Amino acid sequence: MEQHAAVANVPLERKGRFAVLWRKHFWGLLFLLPAFVIFILFLWVPIFKGFIYSFYHIDFVKGNSFVGFDNYKVALHDEDAWTAVKNTVYYMFLCLVIGFWIPIVFAIAISELRRFQGIVRVAAYLPNIIPVVVLYGLWRWFYDPVGPINGVITGWFGADEPVSFMTDTRWSMISLVIMESWQQFGSAMLIYLAAVLSIPRDWYEAAEIDGAGVWNRIRHITLPSIKGLLGLLLILQLIGTSQGYQSQLAMLDGGPNNTTLTYALLIVKYAFNQQNYGVASALGVLMFIVLGLLAIVQYRLQGKEGDVR
Amino acid sequence: MKQLDRGILSSFDLKKKPILIGYSIMVLVLVIMSCSMVYPILTTLFNGLKTNVEVNSFPPKFLPSEWHFDNFKKGWNFIDLPEFLRNTLYIFGGNLVITVGVLGLASFSLSRLNVPKRKAIYFFFMMTLFIPPTTYIIPNFVNLKDLGLMNSFAAFWLPAGANAFFLLLLKNFFDEIHYEIFEAARIDGASDWRSFVQIALPLSIPIFSTLAIFIFSSSWNDWFWPSLIMHNDSHYPLATAIYKYVINAKGLALNIRFAILTMVMLPPIVVFLVFQKYIMRGLHLGGVKG
Repeated sequence: MEQHAAVANVPLERKGRFAVLWRKHFWGLLFLLPAFVIFILFLWVPIFKGFIYSFYHIDFVKGNSFVGFDNYKVALHDEDAWTAVKNTVYYMFLCLVIGFWIPIVFAIAISELRRFQGIVRVAAYLPNIIPVVVLYGLWRWFYDPVGPINGVITGWFGADEPVSFMTDTRWSMISLVIMESWQQFGSAMLIYLAAVLSIPRDWYEAAEIDGAGVWNRIRHITLPSIKGLLGLLLILQLIGTSQGYQSQLAMLDGGPNNTTLTYALLIVKYAFNQQNYGVASALGVLMFIVLGLLAIVQYRLQGKEGDVR
Repeated sequence: MKQLDRGILSSFDLKKKPILIGYSIMVLVLVIMSCSMVYPILTTLFNGLKTNVEVNSFPPKFLPSEWHFDNFKKGWNFIDLPEFLRNTLYIFGGNLVITVGVLGLASFSLSRLNVPKRKAIYFFFMMTLFIPPTTYIIPNFVNLKDLGLMNSFAAFWLPAGANAFFLLLLKNFFDEIHYEIFEAARIDGASDWRSFVQIALPLSIPIFSTLAIFIFSSSWNDWFWPSLIMHNDSHYPLATAIYKYVINAKGLALNIRFAILTMVMLPPIVVFLVFQKYIMRGLHLGGVKG
């Protein structure tokens, strides 16, 4: 990088240090200027304003007024907030149990296909392509008491009565997680698949000659080779699911009986249903503090992986 | 080294009975998986072709008994799809232009030009990747309101330039271009601006096409944020309109609903199948994305 940067140093007349530096850096800085302005205006300002707003009562008509820690008090004394934290943890847990391992298994399985690998890959990625609003409409019908899933349950397996996947408090969150896992597993699968396919084939050859069975080859060669990626995607999934609210909002609006009210959804509801932007900002700051710890782990892992940065 | 023609399993393994049975089961599972991925798409299409009575019958059937293509015509007339489509394309086009302009320039500068404190500047941009967006979603909204951008397309176009992930992809791409090309241009007297416009931009069409696909899918998908920013039909993008007027509609016949959903679903699928190669490469490029 340094050597070709030096190429730009066309011999400069000696004018004064400042003029020299100015000429040297002028274009570089000018090209960066728009990005600077936009990043500050639309990312850094909101991030910092979040902290400031959390101490204010926001009123678009009368203007903002300072309220100290009141917003935090409201947030911490709200019973819904604790329900929301519990629901979010439950949601993250379900996403791990139901969603995390599927892409890994399928990536290894698909890597073993000798033919039609491309078609299976495309098929697995298809649900990512469909707009989510279409999925909401579709899955509402799937989960309907008279929808196809219940048709199979009552028809083929002879269950007595249909399961109300959406309105039963025991099922609602699980149903959402199944829907999301189905939709999103393709992209994670493709990432794992690329990693699995890049493992040198002769390692397996050597292991086989040494008498390692299929399971041992997977356990001692395939899995260790994608270990770093596993850790990174695990963190990314935790960060992603801890912020989940869109499907909960669209499918059930946090119901039934607040069982799908996640923390992020609570923030959104405080802001846009109750117009209480101050408390919503305070909730956001609290979330920032907790997720900041996760982000540090992510930063470390990505440094190790060397993919990003 | 040439890759041997084998995976975890060798052709020798497949001659053993238990392994062969296991392999067959695995293939069967993959076939079932592929079907479960395609099934919902076809269901949407076929439900859009049934009579309303048939969609509501229990247990549901996969294929329609009669084919009612006029459902699509009714769905087309139910809401003003072309208008919402136009809004979506506005957002897509503006976002793409801003991304190319702002992030293209910035990444070119970071990768190729003389910039003091390059590391610190890069860090300034990349830090934003590690701050979870939901934590500042509310101040972000209030900020846009303070800037007077409510109910305007600029509320989407301008923030599109604040994407550290795209900046990262672009910078990695520019880093890969041989610097001799730029050196030659400079010797021939090209300014930095000219080497950006006439050399860097044309060379980076592949990466911009990948970004275009990302931007396309996000502007086609995003329904919640536009529903907060935009206030009337002449500004709603397609996804928001579908959510408001179709998914949450009371008294809209199911078959018409599915016909509309099919019409919304098909363009992205067509785009995907046509540009498959770029998309798969883009995913690979993106490597690990949040």
